Amino acid sequence: MRPMEILTANELVSGATVYVDGAGHWQMDLQKARLFSDDAARDGVIAAAKATGRLVSIEIEKIEIVNGKVVPNRLRERIRAEGPTAPYGPERQELGEDGHVSL
Amino acid sequence: MYRYDEFDAAFVAGRVEQFRDQVNRRLSGELNEDQFRPLRLMNGLYLQLHAYMLRVAVPYGTLSSKQMRKLAHIARTYDRGYGHFTTRQNIQYNWPRLKDIPVILDELASVEMHALQTSGNCIRNVTTDQFAGAAADEILDPRPVAEIIRQWSSIHPEFTYLPRKFKIAITGSPNDRAAIKFHDIGLMAQTNPNGEIGWAVYVGGGLGRTPMVAKLINGFVPHEHLLAYLESILRVYNRYGRRDNKYKARIKILVHEEGLEVIKGQVEQEFAEVRGGVLTLPQEELDRITTYFAPPQFANSGATAFDLEGIRLTDPSYARFIENNTHPHKQVGYTSVTVSLKPIGGAPGDASDKQMDAIADIAERYSADELRVTHEQNLVLPHVAIDDLRAVYDALITAELADGNIGEISDMITCPGLDFCALANARSIPIAQEISRKFRTPERQKEIGELKIKISGCINACGHHHVGHIGILGVEKKGTELYQITLGGDATENAAVGNILGRGFVAEDVPGAIEKLVDTYLAARTSRDESFIAAVRRLGEAPFKEALYGAS
Repeated sequence: MRPMEILTANELVSGATVYVDGAGHWQMDLQKARLFSDDAARDGVIAAAKATGRLVSIEIEKIEIVNGKVVPNRLRERIRAEGPTAPYGPERQELGEDGHVSL
Repeated sequence: MYRYDEFDAAFVAGRVEQFRDQVNRRLSGELNEDQFRPLRLMNGLYLQLHAYMLRVAVPYGTLSSKQMRKLAHIARTYDRGYGHFTTRQNIQYNWPRLKDIPVILDELASVEMHALQTSGNCIRNVTTDQFAGAAADEILDPRPVAEIIRQWSSIHPEFTYLPRKFKIAITGSPNDRAAIKFHDIGLMAQTNPNGEIGWAVYVGGGLGRTPMVAKLINGFVPHEHLLAYLESILRVYNRYGRRDNKYKARIKILVHEEGLEVIKGQVEQEFAEVRGGVLTLPQEELDRITTYFAPPQFANSGATAFDLEGIRLTDPSYARFIENNTHPHKQVGYTSVTVSLKPIGGAPGDASDKQMDAIADIAERYSADELRVTHEQNLVLPHVAIDDLRAVYDALITAELADGNIGEISDMITCPGLDFCALANARSIPIAQEISRKFRTPERQKEIGELKIKISGCINACGHHHVGHIGILGVEKKGTELYQITLGGDATENAAVGNILGRGFVAEDVPGAIEKLVDTYLAARTSRDESFIAAVRRLGEAPFKEALYGAS
């Protein structure tokens, strides 16, 4: 079976890490990310996301499901999801009033 | 300190308005990211892993109390209550929002600061000795010349789109504290046989994936011709520097591939044409700029030395602070104080808004209103009367800034690494935290003496690992972080690039590996007077390699 993928990006105004969910909302919870196993569906969402102009650095990330949780393969992505492991940055960037990018 | 004239103020204000318009057009959708990205980078705005990052220039690392308070205010109001001081003597904010950037730039402009040319393929912020204008060992204060270079290089029409970024470092002292031989151009003050002061010019140094020690291209360039000479180098680089490959685009590669003599010939040819022209620096202009950097009014009374023996008995922590964190001042009765941003278990270079405010207050009261940022990610109170040192130390204790570890093993340069940086392959800060915890006791650090560890989370070497006495480079291998250890690097006038000792270590094994290197040194040194780097030079790599990997 091909590896599963998610789509992630940074939201334009806050720069916050966001993931597209099944309803086409770009939101901050990795666990709500839509899982893609089909290139056409994934590429359609990427094209729509680019068209909004509200998402920067859109990336395809490979993930695994471990104990029912979405776990990105790359450490970089796990840190993006969890926030810095170093002091001073435990909280993730909040979307705030800008968090309404939907497809 | 330099003060903006009408031209400077109008220039910065104009650039802020220009960027405000660009941000507004990006937010409205008129500009897409491909169009906006080069514009934001020209204004120091990056996108990192979790958020935007704004890099603010601190020209030649000099700040007033008012400017430091503004940096604290920005951290508190628009970010998450802290800032990160960098090896470029700048400050970075890790969590600003795009919509707030124009307001932040307004705030900065109100204290004569900006974020221009802190990114992009242009001439970056000029860096210098953190003790400039104060050090007992300097020939002259390099900051007036640094300011003139800043003015010359700010949106220089010819050098805004160079093949790659370009960094200039300048020192007025023969003891290089600015790593000038690892910059595209390094300048070191010289006195010629006639007693005139000018500049030795080094070219083609750098770190990154191809570390190079800069080469001496001209042993003495007089003050009045320095800009013409710099312009000549930049012209040769702009014309011949490679644009086909980002990794071969720095001037170090041009000098390496063409050879110093070829480049020198081209520079001299250019110099012969521009020398004596519009770039000749009039003495009155140099004098005018120099007046901005006039030394403060020093008191001529008071203590001229510390009773270190007595203090050791009564207050060992204060004695340690005096021994490690003070630097000889040219004025009798004064000292320069380095404020450590390297607490045990902390993130190197970070300061909270409260700490920034506290140190601004201390500088205003005790250091002629002046502060410096060091390329080793600490802060400096350049002009402290010896009589005031105890009060300064007590105030630093209150602000949790009184670590007396300058120059010791826990005073590490560390890049942001994979915790923040979009380019990194591995984390750096957690490695620094664990090493500092391993060597946490002052007694252990004192026993080891001077030892510079520098940590980078990728080959771009923002953490200067190549020039660490011990360097640590994080790489990614099969999805995990691995750390290579180098030995023998030196950022000073004895410039050297460290060598990789062998296979890498996983993160949890790095502190133990560092301890093996340290113990090898302690066992082999001839006396306490032989520093780690001196012992490495005498012994070579073999015993250190064996300590890490066993006999081959």
